[in-house]
Amino acid sequence: MKLWAYILRRILILIPTLIGLTLMVFVIIHLQGNNLLLAQYLNPRLTGPAKQQQLEALTERFHLNDPVYIQYFYWLQQIITGDWGYTNTPIYSGSVTTAISLFLPNTIIIAVFASIIIWLLSIPLGVSSAVNRDSIRDHLIRVSSFTLYAMPIYLIAIALIILLGVYFHVLPFSGPVNPLLVSNLDWYKNGISYPTHILLIDALIHGNLTVAWDAFLHVIMPSVTLALGIMAGIIRILRASMLEVLEQDYIRLARAKGVPEKIVINLHARRNALLPVATSFGYTVAGLLGGAVVIETVFNYPGIGYWTTQALLVNDVGGIMSSTLLFGLILVFTTLILDILYALIDPRIRY
Amino acid sequence: MEKRMEAKEIEGLRLSLVIFFSNKTAVVGLMIFMAYVIDALLMQFAPSMLGVNNPNALAFDYSNTIPQPPSPEHILGTTYFGVDLLQAIMQAIRIDLGYSGLIVISGALIGALFGIISAYAGGWFDEILMRITDIFFGIPYLVLALGVGFALGRTIESMIIALIIVWWPLYARYTRSLTLSIKEQTFIEAAKASGVSDLKIMIKHIFPNTLPPVLVQISLDLGVVMAIFATLTFIGFLPTGNLPELGYLTSLGLNYIQIAPWATIFPGLAITIFALAVNLMGDGLRDVIDPRRRSS
Repeated sequence: MKLWAYILRRILILIPTLIGLTLMVFVIIHLQGNNLLLAQYLNPRLTGPAKQQQLEALTERFHLNDPVYIQYFYWLQQIITGDWGYTNTPIYSGSVTTAISLFLPNTIIIAVFASIIIWLLSIPLGVSSAVNRDSIRDHLIRVSSFTLYAMPIYLIAIALIILLGVYFHVLPFSGPVNPLLVSNLDWYKNGISYPTHILLIDALIHGNLTVAWDAFLHVIMPSVTLALGIMAGIIRILRASMLEVLEQDYIRLARAKGVPEKIVINLHARRNALLPVATSFGYTVAGLLGGAVVIETVFNYPGIGYWTTQALLVNDVGGIMSSTLLFGLILVFTTLILDILYALIDPRIRY
Repeated sequence: MEKRMEAKEIEGLRLSLVIFFSNKTAVVGLMIFMAYVIDALLMQFAPSMLGVNNPNALAFDYSNTIPQPPSPEHILGTTYFGVDLLQAIMQAIRIDLGYSGLIVISGALIGALFGIISAYAGGWFDEILMRITDIFFGIPYLVLALGVGFALGRTIESMIIALIIVWWPLYARYTRSLTLSIKEQTFIEAAKASGVSDLKIMIKHIFPNTLPPVLVQISLDLGVVMAIFATLTFIGFLPTGNLPELGYLTSLGLNYIQIAPWATIFPGLAITIFALAVNLMGDGLRDVIDPRRRSS
């Protein structure tokens, strides 16, 4: 298969996936009936006939009397044109698109920090575990990654809170920043920082290093937890594939030729051992997004995940809809990009 | 001829047991797993033997609601509302183990059904099924479970249905790939040649052959599903306040984490130990059914 044909096929597959994804989200938000859907648009102060009148107007506006399969297309049109409705949760009330612009940056910052930690730690740990097979270091790495792999991610968070937050008091573990530091700032209002909504970056823009440092400290615990939860699986895959690669003939040949062991491992073995890790990268992204929901809830970090759980607790349609749809879209498009990249890197995948 | 087959099968079983029991860590895993199962069974059929009146509800003690440290009276201490932790954890194991078993096994059955049919039929049916599983894999499973749970209402039943919906695509893919390789083997060709119907081939020849690897996968997944189950209750999915459940117990202790860390540590340990045990056990079982892994 030619490369462009593969990419074309991959993009064509995207269409049914996107239809299925939106259909699933549509079903999720419509199973509870229309009242919840209408509640996000309804003026809560209205009563009696006025309320009735507005309900009827809204029902008309969103075509809720039409058959369900027609409603789907109206809803889809609404989503595509960017009208995602309203959300009303304890942490934010307002339009969903604004809420996303406030919360998504925080989730991204945690995910980015976590990815950096994963990338910096898992590759050396996995490689050294395989190279020094059955040594004490290998056993230590294996046991700890096995335990972390088995633990639910919220327990990793609690373990870190008890260890670093409660006993040693080295790191803060609640919220995005110490509220006392930001109480009198003109660029930080009601828990929202301006202009980028990422506190860390905003503080740097405004040159307030104390706040930036504090915001950074608050990011450490959530991102380390997220990284630990996901790293365990990567280390296991990497160790196994590294052991397999080290048995290959070309490694033996390189050693027989007298290539230094360091070069054999870092240049020949590691690059090939990383391939299975790279192909499982889609699962890493899924893990980051799913883990973020739990982590943000445990650490009260105002990201999409925290908003989702808050929305669940108060039966808020907007929050649930946007997080399922948004996370779904992010995941579907990352997998698309990754698949195309793999096809570019490794021609075998195309067949 | 019949007898010889039987002897061969017994020999095979004996060999499998020898391989499994020669793996020390797997045996430890099995023992811990059995302890959890026994606890769950006792709690189900004879709760009074463990000193529990109602295994479905936590026994609150409003006379002293502040968590107390471990003492001879309360071996693991108490958590918020004066609940004795040891007793609560023993109650919770029945709920967690029972429901995660139900979720994984139903997920595996539904997945196996679709996976086998899809791989055996092939063609457009296969293509459609794979696209459907793509959609399910397109949303992080926890978010999907939250969404489905939201749609069905926040009850324990809807939580179980949500997790089954999240879990079956995994088994559909797995049994599909297993079936694809079994389908090519000569005994299936022989069965086809002698005129056995497709349905019978799927039920009598393909399904039993997918069973061992699927059972191993089930044992590995038990820990994962229990973790997700506990995670959902931990973040407050269930509005009810007295369900003995490990995730809920952890969240009860969370407000007292500064003065009473045991109230979060012990329920957490109960989940972690279980997940570790089933992972060790599953690894041992996988060595038994996959001879290639044994040598390494």
